[in-house]
Amino acid sequence: METWRLPLSSSIRGKLISAGYTSLSSISSVSSTDLARDVKITESEAFEILKMANQVTGSSSCNGRSSSLVNGARNAWDMLHEEEALPRITTSCSDLDKILGGGISCRDVTEIGGVPGIGKTQIGIQLSVNVQIPREFGGLGGKAIYIDTEGSFMVERALQIAEACVEDMEEYTGYMHKHFKASQVQMKPRDILENIFYFRVCSYTEQIALVNHLDKFISENKDVKVVIVDSITFHFRQDFDDLAHRTRVLSEMALKFMKLAKKFSLAVVLLNQVTTKYTEGSFQLALALGDSWSHSCTNRVILYWNGDERYAYIDKSPSLPSASASYTVTGRGLRNSSSSSKRVKMM
Amino acid sequence: MKPRSLLSQSPTTSLKLTTGCETLDACLHGGFPCDSLTEIVAESGCGKTQLCLQLSLCAQLPISNGGLDGSALYLHSEFPFPFRRLHQLSRSFHLSNPSIYADHNDNPCDHVFIQNVHNVDHLFDVMSKIESFVKNSKTRLPLKLIVLDSVAALFRSEFENTPSDLRKRASCFFKISGKLKQLANKFGLAVVITNQVTDFVESSDGLSGLRIGNLRCLYSSGRRVVPALGLAWANCVNSRVFISRSDDSICQERREDDERSGSSYVSRRARRRFDIVFSPYLPASSCEFVITGEGICGVR
Repeated sequence: METWRLPLSSSIRGKLISAGYTSLSSISSVSSTDLARDVKITESEAFEILKMANQVTGSSSCNGRSSSLVNGARNAWDMLHEEEALPRITTSCSDLDKILGGGISCRDVTEIGGVPGIGKTQIGIQLSVNVQIPREFGGLGGKAIYIDTEGSFMVERALQIAEACVEDMEEYTGYMHKHFKASQVQMKPRDILENIFYFRVCSYTEQIALVNHLDKFISENKDVKVVIVDSITFHFRQDFDDLAHRTRVLSEMALKFMKLAKKFSLAVVLLNQVTTKYTEGSFQLALALGDSWSHSCTNRVILYWNGDERYAYIDKSPSLPSASASYTVTGRGLRNSSSSSKRVKMM
Repeated sequence: MKPRSLLSQSPTTSLKLTTGCETLDACLHGGFPCDSLTEIVAESGCGKTQLCLQLSLCAQLPISNGGLDGSALYLHSEFPFPFRRLHQLSRSFHLSNPSIYADHNDNPCDHVFIQNVHNVDHLFDVMSKIESFVKNSKTRLPLKLIVLDSVAALFRSEFENTPSDLRKRASCFFKISGKLKQLANKFGLAVVITNQVTDFVESSDGLSGLRIGNLRCLYSSGRRVVPALGLAWANCVNSRVFISRSDDSICQERREDDERSGSSYVSRRARRRFDIVFSPYLPASSCEFVITGEGICGVR
């Protein structure tokens, strides 16, 4: 709002503007003494101007400072409290949870990539089951959307992991309520499967159409707390002769995912493949979809083999330190690896 | 767009195609899954084609027996196609399963459709016709299995080793895989693809020895091998199994009498090893089998 709109006499208004105070926000951050000195008016006149400015902005602060200069802005303190209160989705492997800061964070887009057979689909299925853990057990009690582009999702495997999850919850209840009447775990494995919304897409146009539709779908199913795409890459590695077009399409898709994550406070997990990149005269392993895609995700986890063990490494994160942790894939899902001596390796 | 209900199949397992051998089926938790691409990697002479021929016949079994109640499409890129072996297997299959063919007076070979493929463009051409073939065919059994034997032979001669050609080649892999997966999803087919191996050569960037799956190194006939077509192709398949043989695991020396000449001879069979390299639902496991006149037979 501009100062010339204030109901002041024209001489004072002229002095205000020539001194540089053209907007209300500039007046609000200054005290009456400083204003009087800058504009060459009396202090009481300056005080009147400030009072008027406060009335106009409707701000309730008594020293003339307003708490939000731009509509919709929040201060970092509020944001910190909000982030700490956000729940995280456990991966069922405590070492992996530790390096992730407690689990996969909601409101973020996390990319997980690795060679075939390292366990990307297993992590995807485990997360779609774990998001449903009820709040009484420390989970989110939400539902999952699983977008399958490769056909790797096997129902019997999801059922196996769901059964193991229910068994773990029952064991936990039994342990905690040893002396009391144990409350029954209400969830059954079939319920867990029902709460996974499974979409199969067979081409990149279907994939884009589905991502566009997700906003509406999630508005109708507000308890969805995680969206998993397995894998984000598959349909984009064919048919794109013009790589610039591919980059445009991918960045649009990434933007949509980020908006979904922020709007509905859910976690987006994108599974990616690896490819060899020709850099500095040799071939190196890198996540697929190119350099511009690597900016599209908030967090990035790379899965790799180290000897006979599977490891996860935090490659990019705004808040987590670089670290790696080992995990195994068992019949019951993701678990800590048995080599329990060396744990989290900080880089 | 509506999500697919995961509980719509009951029991909640996907349909599997039996291999005809109990030991292999145990490793695979029932057999090769439908709506999925499974790759068989092996050195030549290990039994890939034998297994594929056997699968083409087993697809005709009723679902209650582990089959798919359907016919098979066998795309082969390596010559010659083993017609005589198919007839031999078909004869013993017919004898063990007469009920499938009794009412219609046909034989198992009538339900295996063979198409040769010369190169990648020919394969794309053939794949574009599969959908209309499935929809319009008047055959008794619907198509339920596609075998591609082998994918590596298609790429042997056309692509150079330059980065741009390798990119084009990788793009072809994803196109083939995408199209096959789309067909598999639409018609509920099982797709089995065979691949060859190449010798392992240590390269300076260490990428040729990149570990993919449960086995740190793949050995066959006493030497270290890697699956052909590299990392890009490995990303295109859902599951990979590895068949290997070692020269020293020979079993069963049997004295057999040849009826015509009256002389007797010793037959030796090399044992083959079957390993799960990676799979979205199978734990790492392996088993052994031999190839007999009747087909593949597991060894305890």
